[in-house]
Formats: sequence, structure tokens, C-alpha cells
Amino acid sequence: MNRIDPKLLRHKVESIHTLPTVPGVLKRLSSVIEKPQITIVEISAFIASDPALTSKVLKMVNSAIYGFPGRIASVSHATMLLGLNVIKGLLLGVSVFELMQKTMHGLYEHSLACAVASRVLAQKKNLRAPEEVSVAGLLHDIGKVILILQFPREYENAMKEAGEKGISIFEAEKNQFAATHADAGGWLTKKWRFPLNLIDVIEYHHRPALARQAPLETAIVHMADLLARARGFGFAGEDLVPEASPVACELLKLSDQDIREVLQEMEDSMGVAEDIA
Amino acid sequence: MPKISVDKLEPGMKLARPVTGPNGMVLLGEGTELTEKWIERIRDMDVAAIYVDGPPVQTLSREEALAALDARFAPVEDKPRMGDIKKLVREHIESLYE
Repeated sequence: MNRIDPKLLRHKVESIHTLPTVPGVLKRLSSVIEKPQITIVEISAFIASDPALTSKVLKMVNSAIYGFPGRIASVSHATMLLGLNVIKGLLLGVSVFELMQKTMHGLYEHSLACAVASRVLAQKKNLRAPEEVSVAGLLHDIGKVILILQFPREYENAMKEAGEKGISIFEAEKNQFAATHADAGGWLTKKWRFPLNLIDVIEYHHRPALARQAPLETAIVHMADLLARARGFGFAGEDLVPEASPVACELLKLSDQDIREVLQEMEDSMGVAEDIA
Repeated sequence: MPKISVDKLEPGMKLARPVTGPNGMVLLGEGTELTEKWIERIRDMDVAAIYVDGPPVQTLSREEALAALDARFAPVEDKPRMGDIKKLVREHIESLYE
């Protein structure tokens, strides 16, 4: 099989914003969030300059995905409440929504379910910033969108191979690209100067034992991904539940009751998926 | 808590979630009991479906949902912890049909 040269692969992933099929908002977003010293005021101004984006961000922060009590009515309130890291991730999330729907039907639903489960687990483990973990859950599969956009034919082959052989999409990607959506997501978020914790989660959500920067967060998103698939929310490339990483199980030590609560919260929140569109 | 399309609304139903406008402003609060007048107003707005109180509506039958669960778990069922997780998910799915 002719695999794509890894250097070219990485270059193509990092220059995703130059593709004509990528929406304008994502192109403008990439120029804003790549700036090394972007401030919360600049980000707020960027969002506020785009009414469609403003409405999407407000719908998202007011949804059951985040579970804030009360209403957040303005972008400046949302950015103050969530902080720069979360807002950057959220912006990427709402900007790729349409792309997710177009490229892999069901991926957005899967991502939202994973975001909810990640938040609940982060709260259970008393993490300081559950919203940051939730955004990591929302974006964990961003690499799939990027790979499909740049290499539609190859990715279709990978999905076909996964279906025919009954292997995971992660394995099928390796056969097709010599890299995976986790690598692709890691490259892009590094280029876009996302927080190190978020990059770690995206890069290692399939192999949480390798996470160095954010092992706990990575273990959480790994289990959230697994539970969203276990319940059958959305579609992430194939219909299989992955094996739980022993390291993640050991780190989290989830009780049966924890898992029940995650399932229930996902159930209660999932109806909102289409409202956020 | 089912989400139902606006043409299936009936007076007496209670909102399980607020109905909001384009910027997230609350137009009708949670718990509002729908009247003919409210239903008409909701139909005039650009919303497709809203949440009302009651048991959730499942798109799959119980048997379909459980068969899909078995298929998803088939390759990993015997791995550590996975049998327990499957049991919990099965109980959860079964509870949706009670």
C-alpha cells in the first residue's frame, strides 16, 4: 500500500486553513488564535464581530453541555467566565461543527457526548477546570475532520477497511496514513498554540499511558470517549467500543455509580445536540 | 424528557426546557404549561422542536438497541473492566424503555 509521506502529511494538516472547502470563519479564526499573545479582549472582539459566531458560542455555553446555572447573555461574560483556553477551544469546536456534519455524519454528536462525559468525570475527580476537560472532549477527534478534508479518498478507504475487517478506525488510519487522527489533531493544535494540556489529551486519548503533560485529563477523555461509544451516541468512524486502558482505569478508579451518573448526564444532554447547530 | 416537533404540540404539555430566541434569550421558561396561544406563538417562531415533560422517546426498539450494544462490545467483552461497563450500559439502556 502506498502510504502518504509523513512529512507531507503533517504539512497538509498544518495548512488546513488554505483549503477552499474550509469555511471563512475557520480561516479567520486560525489567524487570530495563532497569535502568540492574544488577549481575552481581542478574542471577545473577534467573536463579537461575527453575529453568527456570537450566537453559536452563546448557545453552546448556555447548553446542558456546560451545565452553568443561569444565562450567559454576552460574549464578554462568556469569555470572562470560561477563560482564554476554554474559549479558544470552544471557538474551534463551533467553527468545525458544520464540517463535522459534512465530513463524518454523527461525529459531532459523538463529540458532544464525549464533552458532557468529560465534564462530569472532571467534576467527580475534583479537577480545577472541568470546562477545560470538557472542551478537550469536544475536540478530541478534530484530527478526523482534518484528515477527511485533506485526504477524502484515503480516509474513505480507512473507514471501509475498518468496517470490513472489524478493526478500529484508529488502526485503519495507521494502515492508510502511517499516522492517526490523534497525531493530526496534535499537530494542528500545536501549530495553533493551544494549551499544552489540550494538545496532550488530543494526542494521547487512545494511549493515555503516554500522556506526560495532562495524564489525568487524558485518562478522563479516554474513558469519556469509550462511554459515549458504549452508549452508542453518534458515530466516530466505526461502531466498536475500544478497550479501556489499564492505566486510565487505575488513575480514575471509577465506581459503578460514577459510570451510571455519566451515562445519565449524557442521556439528559444529548437532545440538545441539534439545537447547538 | 422528549423533544417533539412543534406541529405535535398540544395544550397542557409542560416545557421541560426553556424556549429561547436566537441569542439565547428566554422566551418561555421551563415548566410553562402550553396553551393554544403559546403553541401558536411557538409555531410562528423559527424553532423546529422543543422539549416537554414526559418519558423520553427512543428511536430504536429495545431489542434493536440491545443487539447493537452486543455488537459494539463483542471484540472487547472479555477484557478487564469491559464486562462491568457493558453491564452498566445495558442496565442504563433497559431503564430507558421502562
